[in-house]
Order: sequence, then structure tokens, then C-alpha cells
Amino acid sequence: MPVTYIDAIREAQLYLLETDPDVFLYGQDIGEFGGAFKATKGLQERFPGRVKDAPISEDAMIGVAVGAAIEGMKPIVEMQFADFSSIAFNQIVNQAATHYYRTGVSIPLTVRMPSGGTPGSGPFHSQSMESIYAHYPGIVVVTPATVADAYSMLIESVQCPDPVVYCEHKFLYRWLKAEDFKGDGLPIGKARITRSGKHATVVAYSAMVHEAVRAADILQREGGWEIEVVDLRSVKPMDTDTIIASVARTGRLLALGEAFPWGGVSAEVVSRVVAEGFHLLDAPPMRLNAKDTPVPYHPKLWAAHRPTPESVCVALRQLLAY
Amino acid sequence: MEKPSPISKFELNAEHGRALFRAMLTSRMLEAKLSSLYKAGKIVGGVYLGKGQEALSASLGICLKQGRDVFAPLIRDQAGRTAMGEEIIEVTRTYLGSVEGPMRGRDGNIHRGRPKDGMLAMISHLGAAVSVVAGALMAKRLRGTLAGVVGATCVGDGATSTGAFHEGLNVVAVEKLPMVVVIANNQYAYSTPTQSQFACENLIDRALGYGLVGHSVDGTDMLACAEVLGEAVARARRGEGPQLVEAKLLRLSGHGEHDDASYVSEVMRESHAGRDCMEVARAQMLEKGWHSGSEIADLEAEVSEQIVAAVAMAQKENVPNPYTEDWCAIASAIGRTSVESELCL
Amino acid sequence: MPEVPILMPQLGESIAEATIIRLAVSVGDTVETDQEIIEVETNKATMGVTTLCSGVMKEIYATEAQSYAVGSVLGLLEATQEEVERTGVSVAGSEEEKDRALAEGAGVREDEANLHFKTEDGGVFERRVVEPNVKGLPVPAGKKGSLYISPRMRARMDELGLQAADISAIPGTGRGGRVTVEDLESFLEYIDTWPSSPASPMRLAVADAMRRSWMRPLASVGHPVVLDHVLDYRRQQSPKPGLTLYVLRAFAIALREEPTAAGFLMGDRIVHPRAFDIGVAVQVNDGVMVPIVRHTDTKSVPELAEEYALLVDQARNRRLGESELKGGIATVTNFGTFGLTWGTPIPLPNESLILGVSAGVKRPVWSEQVNAFIPVTEAELVLTFDHRVIDGGDAGRLLKRVAELLAKPSEL
Repeated sequence: MPVTYIDAIREAQLYLLETDPDVFLYGQDIGEFGGAFKATKGLQERFPGRVKDAPISEDAMIGVAVGAAIEGMKPIVEMQFADFSSIAFNQIVNQAATHYYRTGVSIPLTVRMPSGGTPGSGPFHSQSMESIYAHYPGIVVVTPATVADAYSMLIESVQCPDPVVYCEHKFLYRWLKAEDFKGDGLPIGKARITRSGKHATVVAYSAMVHEAVRAADILQREGGWEIEVVDLRSVKPMDTDTIIASVARTGRLLALGEAFPWGGVSAEVVSRVVAEGFHLLDAPPMRLNAKDTPVPYHPKLWAAHRPTPESVCVALRQLLAY
Repeated sequence: MEKPSPISKFELNAEHGRALFRAMLTSRMLEAKLSSLYKAGKIVGGVYLGKGQEALSASLGICLKQGRDVFAPLIRDQAGRTAMGEEIIEVTRTYLGSVEGPMRGRDGNIHRGRPKDGMLAMISHLGAAVSVVAGALMAKRLRGTLAGVVGATCVGDGATSTGAFHEGLNVVAVEKLPMVVVIANNQYAYSTPTQSQFACENLIDRALGYGLVGHSVDGTDMLACAEVLGEAVARARRGEGPQLVEAKLLRLSGHGEHDDASYVSEVMRESHAGRDCMEVARAQMLEKGWHSGSEIADLEAEVSEQIVAAVAMAQKENVPNPYTEDWCAIASAIGRTSVESELCL
Repeated sequence: MPEVPILMPQLGESIAEATIIRLAVSVGDTVETDQEIIEVETNKATMGVTTLCSGVMKEIYATEAQSYAVGSVLGLLEATQEEVERTGVSVAGSEEEKDRALAEGAGVREDEANLHFKTEDGGVFERRVVEPNVKGLPVPAGKKGSLYISPRMRARMDELGLQAADISAIPGTGRGGRVTVEDLESFLEYIDTWPSSPASPMRLAVADAMRRSWMRPLASVGHPVVLDHVLDYRRQQSPKPGLTLYVLRAFAIALREEPTAAGFLMGDRIVHPRAFDIGVAVQVNDGVMVPIVRHTDTKSVPELAEEYALLVDQARNRRLGESELKGGIATVTNFGTFGLTWGTPIPLPNESLILGVSAGVKRPVWSEQVNAFIPVTEAELVLTFDHRVIDGGDAGRLLKRVAELLAKPSEL
């Protein structure tokens, strides 16, 4: 019986609640209802008191979690949608993120952020917030792309003494299936070569890893191109060494992301490669992101707004032809 | 349900009064010294005084115990910090940037704290601490260590306008936490008068809306503050749920020492709220017979000596070394062993 | 006794300076700890500057109605050692001393230390409008073309010791015809199937000099010269100086008359000759060497002959040192010795001129005097020049003058 990405998230939380009495879950509708995406289904029943419904107060939710973390608890806060974390922005970046540096007391807080677009979700239920949080010192930002990573990285995030923004992709929830949760044991901070190649490197994360792999398959059939796909897994810390090593093999870089195009993770990837691997580049590095508009509602617009295997192919063909 | 703590009704006695007065006096004198150090160019950044708010703040702090309770003081709570047990040296070390202080030069002035002892380190964003104290209390409840514990935080009239304050207070009420939230209504948020800040008659009227027990008090009156805060903390500790206190008073300084508060009218200064709580307290101590005049003079001399010693000590200690500073904001190993390669120039 | 500085305090988060309203103390006054001694004003508020300890005012640097930057020393307070100890104040210079110690401890030079917060200057005036001093891009945008070498390509070429000229043989398949790393690698593979041998150090040195020189816009002009006078005159001398030396001497005199022609362009400046030191191209095994003959403008051919012969000999035996090869302003090459009647020599990369002389050829020339054709030995003078420095007309005049001078060999 195959397992899904959201199964992994639920099972990881189950494991954490079972094995660590300091872990508790806090979020809107996560109790008896089981969460907007059912990521906590059945957990309150098994752990009454440790799976708590919160008022619709994102700011207070993180504030509460920070207070509990100071006390040594390991709260997991579910933002119903990553988009709503903007309400909690202050508590995340000013309260949680600065605490260890200022006081020496770390905040083992995990914020689960259902991220990215699904058709029809529109401007306020589709955002990718990883770049915003990665910008701030004191936060770890992870973006699992596989079922096994969703499982192991959530456990690792909760065990991490620092605030972790765990970006889980809503499109992958039920779309992505695997035999089990068993992974390759890579820790947070290490990227993975998802697909090896020699003609160009695509650096991606979260759902875009799958789009990159599909694009690579198309180009393989089309012209025998061998595209290497690097899955960042965690955008902060960013595994620059693995990226640079890949570009050293291929000489060409496409940084791919689902977030808005101004700045962000893909810009960070390019800037690192240019700064540290300038001599490796045989073509100007490229970026491909969502368009610089709010995420549109209509599925046709939505599909064109974010990078797709087709648009990744277009970008790669340009890159390969340079 | 929370088991009621052994503490029953609050009783104001001489011992409590003397401790309260000592904290107020220490705060007043220590802040005067901090102001002077600022005006001598020794302290950079800013100095924000609680002058005029000592009675209120100390009345709360005196009911709290480090290592047991959770307190998130705000900008004008030197008296409350001192009353709860903060050492003077903690203050001077933080203001003067000594590496021996709790913030090690990484943060300054009123942003200090000892979170593991229950003294939280405030951020500048108003109202943000309400939910943090709530979270600490919820953690203790989950662990079964909440009995007899009280959480407290202070805000000004300005902070009541923030969303965080509302969200936090709502959570506190929903979770029925043993918590006391004190609003020091000192008439101005920096320079903005209360009529531009809110439209209700009294902020305490909001207690009903949140489902909290409300208390009003004259913030210039030490004995009144001691009674009301003592009662509020005792009720919270007894398991009677969260308490909201509004005190009316006037900040007797600028927002910070760089601000001469020229926007405060003469009428306001001369009003009842403009009374100096320190003078009121002095008279009350004498009247109650809890201190003689000479005892107060001795106390002042003793505190003064402590302050001078703490300032001298902090000034002689090392300041942070930017060349050997651990420029890492992450506690976990991944932040250190990772392949992050930012040039920290 | 220790001196404690009176500092201008930071009077608000964005305040850079403040004005002294009133000095409440004078030099010699005794002051107490926390006493307000100077009243200052910013656009935000007024405030008293206080003392950190008790003592006697020793110096007051500040004057009323003047503004001073935050952190400025406004005066000095003399305090007893006991008072300094009691209050823990820093004495004058001790903070700076501590900063220096920290920097030294970290092995950082003082001028490299973190100076972001030094505010003694009280801020700077922002320049309102900055006009670009170059209009448009210096090269057409987006026209990388086949000459564009990517960072990776450059790195691979560096690894192989290749220059841009080396890849001219490769037809590029990249955008705009640029040569890609793949193009280079496959060309190298192809080249590997051909026989090859290592180039000698001499060959590589000449190649390097010629490649660098060729980066400039070089032009060549020619002018005939009658050699009979100089050949006749030479035959009467003993020992007989070579024709090259007469050409060199004539060239030196012509250049002395027009020194700008031998100038060298560097950016927006013409670098003029320091001395009329002219080189002579000497063919050696697998290359060319150019020894420099010094002060050719002040010495006659007979005076130069011995030195010249020695240099040519040293060149052929590859015994030339740095001092014989450096500092020339132009070169003379007698390619006529190879029987050539025309050529376009290339000047050294650090020179703007090279004068070539071809083989003399006997031609019948009509003489009005004898009313018949007479045989005349004629050669071509060819001058290659950096067209950035001089133009064809200048070059032509120079050649004409050399030809004139060679007609009077006794004066050379």
C-alpha cells in the first residue's frame, strides 16, 4: 500500500508525539477536525491535550509556541496556509529568530507551512514564503520534495533546537506517493542529486524538483541532453558545495523556484554560483520563477504563472544553446 | 482544573511594603544614574525610564518570584524587575555593554532577560509578549508544573492598539491561564495622547469583552497599587483565571532620555495622574510607620552605593570583541557545520 | 592625575550632532558626579551633558553656539585615581586603547578595523545628482559574437595556456558563433591526430610579443630610397659599417626632429621618448632578437659602429641581457638581407614604430644630365606604425626625411 507526502507528515507527527513528551501540536482546526488538510487526523484522540486548537490568531499562535519553547517544549505550529504566516511574521522573525542570539536560549519551534499552489487556490492560498523567512538570521528553512524527506525532515526539524520553517507543498500532499517513508539519511543542510547529468544543472526545491525531473526527461528524449537536477532540500542552510560541484560538471545553471521572482532562493543560488564558481560557468546562469503577479485563481492562468515542465524545457533549451 | 494554590487572600503588611518601597527607590535612583550616564555619552542607543510608574510596576514584580513565575516586563518596568529580584549589576552590564551581562552586548538596555529564570527578554514590538507568557504557562500546564505559578506582563496604553495585544489577550482568556496583564495607561504613546489611541472611556472596560476579570487602580498610589496588584496576582494564582489591570498615571519623563516631553501640557502635569508616586510612597511609608525618615535616608545611601559599585564594575568589564564574536544565530550544529559560505565582512 | 573626557552624548537614535547652548562650568571649577555642566540642543530636544565622576575641569574645548558631532570630546575633567577607581570611568584615550588592543589581538590593522560607527565628522552631505560620465555603453550591448569567451572557456584556456588568438581557428557553434568549451575540446581532439612538436622558448617569446602587438591598429606605408650614395660612401670607410646602421642613424635624426611620432599611447596620454634608443632586429635561430643601440641621436655612424657590431654579435650568440633589450622607442629591420623587396614588419608591443628596409634593386633611371638611362640602386623604406599615435601623412614625412638623410651619408 503506497504512502503519500501528507501521510508522511502525519506519521512523523505521530512518531514525535509518541516518542517525545515535549512535543505538542498547536494550530487552527487541527484537533478533532484533523486539520484543513488532515495532516493531524486522529492525533488529538490519541494525544488529548497535546494537539490543541488555536483561535484564529496567527501572531498569538507563534507567541504561545515561543513561550512554550522557552520552557523547553517542542511545539509544532500548523499554519493553515503559508500565506497566513504573514500575520505571524513579527513573532517568527523578531521573537523566535532573534532569541537564541540575544539570550542564549534557543527556540525549538517548528512552523509547518502548507505552501505553493494548487489549481484554483488563488492569491491567498498559494504562496511560497521560504525566501522571506530564509532572509532572517536564526531560522532554518526546509522544503522537502519527497515522501521520505517530508517524514525525516519533519522529525529532524522538531529535534532541531532552532526555529524551523517547514514548507510542505500542498500539491505534493496526495499527488506524491512512495513505497514507504524510508529515505537515504541525508540531514538538513545537504542537497541531493536527484538526477545526474552533464549538460546543465537545475537547482530546485519542493514541488519544482518534480517539474525539473520531468523537463529533464523530455530533453533526454528530445536531444539526448543529460540534465542534472539538484534538490536543495533545505534552502537555509543552503548546500553551496553540492551546487558548485554540479555546476563544475555541467558549466550551466538554471535556478528554479515556485516563489515570486524578485530576489529569493533562486537569486541566492545564482549569486553563490557566480561568486564562488564564476570560472565554472559556460553560459550566463538563468533563473526561472513564478511570474511577478499575485498567484491567479483560474487554473489556466495558474498553470502559466508557475514554472512547468514545458517552461523549464524552454529555459533549458536556451541555456543549452548558448 | 487547576488545583488552587495555598495562597489565599492577599494581605498588605509592613514587610511587603518595605520591600516594595525599596524596589521603587532602587529603580528611581538607578534610572537617574542611567540617565546621567546617557547624558555623559557613556550609554548609546537609548535610555527609557519608568519614572512615575514605579509604584505600579513594583507592586506587580513584588508578587512574582524568579524561577517560579513568568514575567515579561516592558519598557518602563525597572521597578517591577527589581522587585522580582533582578540584580542591579544585570542592568548596568546590559546598558554598558559588558560581556558579563545577560545579553553580552548583543542586545541592550531594556531588552534584557533571563528566560530560563522566568524573566523574558522583550522585543520592541508592542503587545508581542502577551502570547509568549501565555505559551510559557501552557507549557507548564502540559507538564503539570503550573500549580502556584503566575504569568504576568505589562503594556502601555499604546500597546493596546496592536493586533498582537488583542490576539494574545484572547488566547490568555480562551486558555483560562493564571496570568496578570497590566496596562500602564500613562497618557501618551510616545507623543500621541490617549484620545488618538482609543475611543473607549476606560481601557479596563475591555476586560468584559475578552472574558477577563478587570481591575482599575490609581497608578500614583503605592498602597492602592500594592492592594490591587496583590489581589490580582493572588486571584490568578488561586486559579481564578486571567486578570486585567488598568492603572492611570503619567510618565514623568520623556519617552526616552532623548525626548524632553514638551508635548505634555502643564494641566496634565498638574493633574492627579501627574503626582509623583515616589513622593506619595514616601509619605505613605512614614504615615504607616513602616519607615522613619532616617531609615529612608539610610536606605538611599545604601542603594546609592550599590549603584555606584555596579556602574563601576560594569565599566571595568570587557566589552564584546567583534573579531572573536560567534557570528551565528543558530544553536544547532547544522548552522555551524553547514556549507553556508556567506562572507561575513 | 587621570583625565576623563567629557563627551557629546548621543541625543536620540538619528542625531549626529548637537549645538552647545550654555557652558555652565569654567576651567578650574570643581564638579560633582552626575552634574549637568553643558547644555546642548538638537532639533528634537535640549539636554544637559553630565559628568561621570567628580573632579576639576581641566580643559573645555567646546564653545557656545557651536555644533559638535556625537562622541566629540568637549572637555577634560581631572579626577583623582581613587575617584576613577570608585566610578569605573574610562580615562582619556583608554577606550581607543582597548579598541586597538582588540584589533591587534585579531591581527587587524587599525585602518582596516571596523570604523562604521566613527561619527566624528558629524555626517556627510549627500550628492544630489550624479551624472554618468559615459553616455551609452562603450560597446554595443548584446553583441558578444564569436570573440566572447565565457568564464568557463577562459578557465579552460588558462589551464591549457591558450590565448584568444589560439582559438581563432575554431568555428564556434555557440550563440553568435562563440567558441564553446565543447568546440574547443573537439578541436583539440582533432588536432591530436596531426603531428606536433613543442615550440621553443624563443618561438613562444616572439609569438607572445607579436600577438600582443597585433592587438593595435597597425598600418604600413612605403617610400623609395636611393642607396647609391650610402653604398659608395660606405665602401670608402674602414671598417665598413653595415647599411642597417646608416638607416638607423637617419631614422634617429628624423625622429629627433619629430619626437611625437615615436610616442606611445597609454589610455588618454602620449608617453614621449626619454632617449633616442633604437633597436635592431637580428635574426637568430628560431626567432628574432632586438638589441637596443643607445643615444643614436647624438652619436655618428663611426661612433656607433663598434657598439653596434658587439650587440649584433651578442644577439646571434644569444648573450643579450635585460639591459640590452629594454627601453627602445622604435626598431629598424633590414629584411633586405633576405633578398625581400617588400614587407610589413610589426613593431614590438611597447613601441609604436618599426622601420624596414628592403633589398636594393638596380633600376634604369633616366638622367637629364647625361641624357641617358643610368643604373640606380633603389630600395623600399617601409614604416609600420600604431595608427592611434600618428597618421599616414606623418609616417610619410618621416620616411621622406629618412630617404633625404640617406642621400648625405657623410653627415650621418
